[in-house]
Amino acid sequence: MKDACEKWKDQLLEAALTGATTKDLEEHLRTCTICSRELDAVRARKVQLDELLPLVARGAEPPADFQAQVLAASEAASGPNRARQWRVWTLAGATAAIVVLMIGATMYWRATQTIPEDELAAAQKLTEWRAPSDALLTTPGQEILRTMPRLGESYLNVPVKKNEEE
Amino acid sequence: MNSLIARAEEQAPEAGFGERIAENQRRVFQIAYSILGNAADAEDVAQEAFLRAYQKFGSLREAEKFRGWVNRIVFRLALNRQRGHRRRLTRDTAWQRTEAPTMVDGAKGAEQQVLLERLRREIERLPEKLRSVLQLSLVEEMDAANVGAMLGIPAGTVRSRLHTARKLLLEVMK
Repeated sequence: MKDACEKWKDQLLEAALTGATTKDLEEHLRTCTICSRELDAVRARKVQLDELLPLVARGAEPPADFQAQVLAASEAASGPNRARQWRVWTLAGATAAIVVLMIGATMYWRATQTIPEDELAAAQKLTEWRAPSDALLTTPGQEILRTMPRLGESYLNVPVKKNEEE
Repeated sequence: MNSLIARAEEQAPEAGFGERIAENQRRVFQIAYSILGNAADAEDVAQEAFLRAYQKFGSLREAEKFRGWVNRIVFRLALNRQRGHRRRLTRDTAWQRTEAPTMVDGAKGAEQQVLLERLRREIERLPEKLRSVLQLSLVEEMDAANVGAMLGIPAGTVRSRLHTARKLLLEVMK
């Protein structure tokens, strides 16, 4: 194609694809044999392309046993999953049953339990318990500590116990 | 009794799945084949797409829902596999430049096979937006609305991209 005809390239392609030509192109084709030949060539390529393009997607078919293969594969794939699910549910059920049994047994045991007489009496005594008096908690020298002079006081004023005077 | 069995089959996870495969297998295979250009790979990918659909079949019982879902998943799986192939090819050709050309399925005659192989290479070179639209539009039962729904673009955009893709191919297939 000549450089002068280069500008018609796009219109030639459009003409081949759509089957329609513009007025300008028609006028040009009347005088330009190169573009006329090019249009014929592009149209021939378009026919070839129309034959080939469907083969890009439809050139092959799935095998006759495709459905059976997929079904078998899906069955095989779902088998372990189902077994796993079954195991999980069994384990969960067994755990729940054990917990319910334990709670029931505890409640029954508590309801039937009776407290022996001596234990009851001890508990009663415990409720009456009182703390020992302060007299029992006195320590030797406590009185001296109490008579210690405060800051600025004299030791002479410290009262002396009677038995020490004697 | 028969109605009870029928109801039990409906409630079973795999009930109706075979029917869905029969309805969709041809289209699903073609989507994979249009991207991968190889029947064995297309079969693998189509099977994987159906296996994934089986795992989600509980929520895909409606025919239309199933169709849309399986179309999208096979398209994505095929693209992933193709990217893997490309990466491997790039890595391998770095060491070994000669590789036997792959035979193209379905083409009649050696000349057509050569042309088809060339066409596939040219499709591969198209910008991704144009390539996806073209590959999906070549599949049976896939009109502009279906392709648009799969790619999330309006049907008008699909038609426009398809036209551009065909024009580019027409130019390069000299």
